[in-house]
Amino acid sequence: MVQPRRKFHEDLDWLEREITTMGELAERAVGAAVDALSTQDVARCDQVIAGDDAIDESYIEIERRILDIIAMQNPVASDLRLVSAVWHINLHLERIGDMAVNIAKIVKVTEDLPRDERVISHLREMADVVRPMIRTAMEAFALRDLELALKLPSMDDPVDRLNRGLYGQIVGLAPDVRLLEWGIRMNVVSRQLERCGDHAVDIAEQVAFLLTGEFREFTDASHGPNAG
Amino acid sequence: MESELSQTIEPVSVTHIEVAHHEPVSTGRPVIFDVQELSVYYDDFRAVRDVTLAVRQNEITALIGPSGCGKTTMLRCFNRMNDLIDTARVEGRILYHGVDLYDHQVDPVEVRRRIGMVFQKPNPFPKSIYDNVSFGPRIAGFKGNMDDLVEQSLRKAALWDEVKSKLKESGMALSGGQQQRLCIARAIAVSPDVILMDEPCSSLDPIATLRIEELMRELVSEYTIVIVTHNMQQAARVSDRTAFFTVDVREDGQRTGTLVEFDATERMFTNPSDGRTEAYVTGRFG
Repeated sequence: MVQPRRKFHEDLDWLEREITTMGELAERAVGAAVDALSTQDVARCDQVIAGDDAIDESYIEIERRILDIIAMQNPVASDLRLVSAVWHINLHLERIGDMAVNIAKIVKVTEDLPRDERVISHLREMADVVRPMIRTAMEAFALRDLELALKLPSMDDPVDRLNRGLYGQIVGLAPDVRLLEWGIRMNVVSRQLERCGDHAVDIAEQVAFLLTGEFREFTDASHGPNAG
Repeated sequence: MESELSQTIEPVSVTHIEVAHHEPVSTGRPVIFDVQELSVYYDDFRAVRDVTLAVRQNEITALIGPSGCGKTTMLRCFNRMNDLIDTARVEGRILYHGVDLYDHQVDPVEVRRRIGMVFQKPNPFPKSIYDNVSFGPRIAGFKGNMDDLVEQSLRKAALWDEVKSKLKESGMALSGGQQQRLCIARAIAVSPDVILMDEPCSSLDPIATLRIEELMRELVSEYTIVIVTHNMQQAARVSDRTAFFTVDVREDGQRTGTLVEFDATERMFTNPSDGRTEAYVTGRFG
């Protein structure tokens, strides 16, 4: 088949490759941050923080290329939907990268505090769901697999449950003030992981839009069971 | 003999045509042209096959597609310009306000007065600006105030301010974009119901093109417009509905234009239903 807009299609291919790489980096950053939490590995935390620069560089370059494409190539139809989807996914992945950094920084500032292994195990359990969520959303994008994308909301349910469930455990740490301080920090970690799950769901929404041309939110925060 | 078209549609003055208003056949505005399984032949060669679509009132309908897909042939069917080619014939029907446009009793001259045309290359008469605009109404026996009609027509074509001090100068002395707007003023002067445009901007620079596009959006409040364009972005910018035609090549090499998809322009350029439309608008065509 003749492709008269070769440069444009090469740009789209580049976007797709770059966002895929960025997805891998963001997912690994979350994994590394939670591993560093488990093992209290400050050096690993520094690697996560430094590694975010690569994600940010990708984010900025993708943003720039998308603006160029829109200005110069007038994408339409599935090309337009791809550009729009990548534009959104780019922001979600950049935020996931930032959350991994937040977790790594919390690990560093809590280094000298006592810790509770049950809470650590709880957070690991959350990460063990969130990481596959990010991978699944990006795989649905790469494979253009709507069925896979539609699995994300149900994958997110245990993350939300675990996030809510952690609160009681942290309250239980109250008699020990220093342990409580650590626990409050861990509540923020939990919140970061829960947000990562939400971003993965949002990425899947973009995949569904790319494939169907219809945009709809999978979950509605203002009307769902936990609204208000 | 009085044409069937004249009998069916109430006779009206040249400056104001009352058109029959039909109930829309589906959601949207009333249908002006109801094209039903239309095929166009030149001798035995079938140039266009089985086109069914509806052109609606006060909308811009764009016909797009690669060269040889039959979009200009289709456009010329709307005011029976193909009648001027001896070997051309049509099968199927085009109902114009419910009247069969190709009924033998319909007067093609009357058709072309109601359904005006603007061509690819501006083609003003070698006459003054004023005479270019007044020519049609004069031929049609217009008895009103010609100065007012010329001014109104030039104003509607967004040309008045540029030519009001030189109405007696030749239309040929204007720039390309001005000449095209003069041709639009000339078409408007006979109070058409529909304006057909065959690649009206293909010989114009980008600024003149944008002026014509802006003018089209102004004119559509009063007229129904059908435009053939090679410029997909132009179709996306100005039209309400878009018809995408392609060329089917038979084993014996005969090429026939077919309508692939006809839908709201927004949908055609964001989420077309047919893979051939997708391939064409995204530039992945062979």
